[in-house]
Amino acid sequence: MGGHPGATDLPEAAAGQAARNVPEAVGRRLSSSAWSSGLSVPDFAACVSMGLRPLALVQGFCAMQWSAYAMGGGSPWGARPTAGAPAGAGTPFTSAGSGGYSESWPCPHGIFSAEHRWGGNYQQPWAEHAWSQGFGSAYVRMVEEAQQAGAQGIIDVVDTAQHLTEQSVIEFHVTGTAVAVEDSPPPPAPWSTYLAGQRLAKLFEAGFVPVSVAAAMSSVMMWPNCQTEYLLHGTGGWGYSYGGEIEQVINADTAVRRLARAAVRSQLGSDTLHGARFAVTRHTGNMGGHVVECTLRGTRVRRFKDFDPLAAPRPTVRLS
Amino acid sequence: MTEAADLPEATSHRLEELEHGLFTSDLSVNEFLLVKHAGFHPLGFVMGSSIYHTGIQTRRWGKSQELTKLTEAMYNARELAMTRMEEEAQELGADGVVGVRLDVNYYEWGRDAAEFIAMGTAVKAEDGSSYRNAQGKPFTSDLSGQDFWTLMQTGHVPQGLVMGTCVFHIAHRGLAQTLGTVGQNVELPNFTQALYEARELAMTRMQDEANRLGATGIVGVRLEEKSHQWGSHTIEFLALGTAVTKGTGAATLPVPTTIISLDN
Repeated sequence: MGGHPGATDLPEAAAGQAARNVPEAVGRRLSSSAWSSGLSVPDFAACVSMGLRPLALVQGFCAMQWSAYAMGGGSPWGARPTAGAPAGAGTPFTSAGSGGYSESWPCPHGIFSAEHRWGGNYQQPWAEHAWSQGFGSAYVRMVEEAQQAGAQGIIDVVDTAQHLTEQSVIEFHVTGTAVAVEDSPPPPAPWSTYLAGQRLAKLFEAGFVPVSVAAAMSSVMMWPNCQTEYLLHGTGGWGYSYGGEIEQVINADTAVRRLARAAVRSQLGSDTLHGARFAVTRHTGNMGGHVVECTLRGTRVRRFKDFDPLAAPRPTVRLS
Repeated sequence: MTEAADLPEATSHRLEELEHGLFTSDLSVNEFLLVKHAGFHPLGFVMGSSIYHTGIQTRRWGKSQELTKLTEAMYNARELAMTRMEEEAQELGADGVVGVRLDVNYYEWGRDAAEFIAMGTAVKAEDGSSYRNAQGKPFTSDLSGQDFWTLMQTGHVPQGLVMGTCVFHIAHRGLAQTLGTVGQNVELPNFTQALYEARELAMTRMQDEANRLGATGIVGVRLEEKSHQWGSHTIEFLALGTAVTKGTGAATLPVPTTIISLDN
């Protein structure tokens, strides 16, 4: 398992922001003689067989105030948010930046009334910025713990974001298992991956090494016009008696995925994304409207050797 | 209440029956097969419980702090349940208990009281070797039969189910703090620090338990968070895992084979 590109390829912020901002208790825990790991036993066994030694369960947190309409980073009221710096600047995880998407949806009859309202889709860079900030800060703290443990890498990274104590606070929690590569000196900063166990082993077998996790969230607010409202809920306008594709929703869904892909692509440099996972959620915004959010996660990987054809697979049938 | 004599009468009768060769277990058939393959025989289903009054501790509205009395209560109650389960296993002459589950139940008849239950399957090595831990007690582990088998193949031996807990009160934000951040998406450092500290305390306590068992590592660490019946600002952070040591035997992991599953 040699030839790893090392931590010099990590986003600068990951190495540079490894500030001393984790609690003192971390030092006490990491100095314990017993190692800990969040790996399942099969993943632990695969880890041992690959020559990786678990050092510690490492984690990072960030509690963020989450305001639906935050100041800065673009106005929600204008149909066209101003272009600016990529959201999440200052953390390892930048988003696509503001001004990436906005689209207005007038009433197809050209009428202004309570029923024939106009609508619009627009990107919410303030939400993307907050997500990048929260995720990035938690990630950086996890990396700092791994560095304290003398790790070469962090495997089986898991990240969650959940409301804490009240709806306006979201806590970002990133955990992973810090590992050392047998007979190898630690790099300046550890690499990281969402993978573990057999999936990580297969990655190495295929000639790739993990560089770091890559993740981004994109958010699009959809204010339905009268036609969309009618097609979604059967209300909100007269003169509609047909079904069919709901173009405004399709455009919002397409845009939110495109924005997440663009944000992650900007983190990859010349590397490849492996094991990409899209997660799309929808909810009603505080002021009405429909919010569509997309989170894209994966592991940034780099080829270190030519592909060796794997042994022919053996077909099996499970009897349980 | 840690003596075997404290176990209910019905327990002695049930354990006597188990000593005569009949065994009970909550292992699935696959788990049973793999536990046998690892060289162990199930002796019986064992359990321990404790109904504990968790009491009240005053907390300051605007201060994040550990609620030590509640932490101690949650810890002691689980320890009592675990100890009683270990006693049952000892009565059977077991080397360990696998598939341990730790549950907390609340009942309508007991406001502020909770039942803590530990249960698992007692096992004994078939070759007569002792697998008891450094304290001379049967090892405990929350590993399934499959995980137990896999762990043994890596050359590691379970020592005990270790845990650490911390009940923490998270401060409410004052009016000035709330107004100061209205309309902003910003980190709340006090919240971050409080939660970080609470989880670290739970994990450190879990590792202290592992150190006392002479373990070299802990696998399958889980971090659980529950508010139980205390409201959203008081949270119990529980860290759980199986402490292991490197055994004398070498790892006997089979070389992985690439397969295509023909199942749906």
